[in-house]
Amino acid sequence: MSDERLTRRALIAGAGAGGLGAALAAPVLAQKLIDLGLPGGPSLRPLEPAFPGKGEMIVQRIRPPLLETPMAAFREGGITPNDRFFVRWNWSMPTAINAAAHRVAIGGAVKAPVALALDDIASAGATVEVVAINQCAGNGRGLSEPRVTGTQWGNGAMGCARWTGVRLRDVLANAGVAPGAARVRFAGLDVPMTDGAPQFIKSIPMDIAMRDDVLVAWGMNGEPLPLLHGYPLRIVVPGWFSTYWVKMLSTIEVLTGEDESYYVAKSYRMPAAPITPADKDFDTVPIAAMPPRAFITSHADGAVVAKGKLLTLEGIAMGGEAALSKVDLLGEGWEASCTLGPDEGPYAFRRWSVTIPQVTGDLANIGARAANAKGAVQPETLNWNPSGYARNVIERITLRAQ
Amino acid sequence: MRAALILLPALLLAGCERAPAVTFADASITLPDDPLDLPDLEGREAVIANCTACHSPSTMLQQPKIPREKWESQVTKMIEIYKAPIDEAAIPQIVDYMVAVQAAQAETGPAQ
Repeated sequence: MSDERLTRRALIAGAGAGGLGAALAAPVLAQKLIDLGLPGGPSLRPLEPAFPGKGEMIVQRIRPPLLETPMAAFREGGITPNDRFFVRWNWSMPTAINAAAHRVAIGGAVKAPVALALDDIASAGATVEVVAINQCAGNGRGLSEPRVTGTQWGNGAMGCARWTGVRLRDVLANAGVAPGAARVRFAGLDVPMTDGAPQFIKSIPMDIAMRDDVLVAWGMNGEPLPLLHGYPLRIVVPGWFSTYWVKMLSTIEVLTGEDESYYVAKSYRMPAAPITPADKDFDTVPIAAMPPRAFITSHADGAVVAKGKLLTLEGIAMGGEAALSKVDLLGEGWEASCTLGPDEGPYAFRRWSVTIPQVTGDLANIGARAANAKGAVQPETLNWNPSGYARNVIERITLRAQ
Repeated sequence: MRAALILLPALLLAGCERAPAVTFADASITLPDDPLDLPDLEGREAVIANCTACHSPSTMLQQPKIPREKWESQVTKMIEIYKAPIDEAAIPQIVDYMVAVQAAQAETGPAQ
């Protein structure tokens, strides 16, 4: 877990008498900053400006918005409130939605293409709720060593919400899937900012699309999807990275073959087998299902704990594509089983806690390690890849005993 | 945002599966402007003319330090993949600027 000391840095125009320091000091008011602990920096991020419907967020980019959840927000519980949920847009999205005019076009390999209004979608089948983690494929990218380019997220590009909607398969039934269907591709209202650039469209295999819990969702934690989270509709694929959870859904296209579009065929891909930073040519596969992860939320790196006293550590964990089975707290040469909190379903955050009877000295390099029902266990070392995807190395911190 | 949407209790839905479960309203938000400005170093004008339409200044200043060749390949990627309409003559100026900004950041402290 990254260290998130809050700092306040006054940026004073003209300081440094015309040197580079002055050049870097933009003429703005004092900014509230957070330190994400990114190795080698730049590591400080502003907690401003405020975004509509949002509480305090780490501002990674203003347009299109990239907002990260401060780790402190995960201390509260297993559900991430909408106003603290991370935001990620690849391209520019509209800032206004006309509900009556919105349509979701269903085409491609279907029996009868249709364009459905929002009410048609909402009445396409039974209303379904699922509690699921939405995590950016690049969550924790900024912590990669060696560093890689892309959005320099700490570990806050994730959240867990209760999603409400209808099953994607019930929506697809309005058009009727034709024989030979292999994948289902989604597009939203966000469009490239340059002519000819690839549109952000993503597809999932047919067997995933037909799952009981893959939704076209309109509700997030009992509220309408905030516009920043994809109002009026977004795809929900529990257990899979959020790149597939297309927002402001406007098109559903059934494909009969592989998806050759940029964001599936060229981008959002992982090395097929482990590589080193020196490797150049290697096969890749699309990132898809999530691996297990765990985080200590009760203490930040470097926090001071009372020597000689009992210490309770708490955190959150996820199984990823399968239910969480176990969380252990690891130290240097020791480990302890953690107690798991309430179970909100296989794709939700689960809280954990463990009590150390007596702190006898510094707790160096401690970390929580999650395992899932499919037998996947968090690794000791980073599965480095050039895009910083699917980080799930054990996150370690050190606590100082005093 | 001003969306008013009502999630009906699940009980109400039992037995009337085809009834709309929600009502959808128009919604709009206003996004904030970027409060940061780009440091006044050589090449700033080229960056403003070619990059800031898509990249907030704050984002540009938050990138990890990478070598000149990597900045060159980043600009090439923007042109080739994302079809950024970048004036070819501006490429070295953009690269010089990012290298200079990161060198200045390294001087003024590791964190910024």
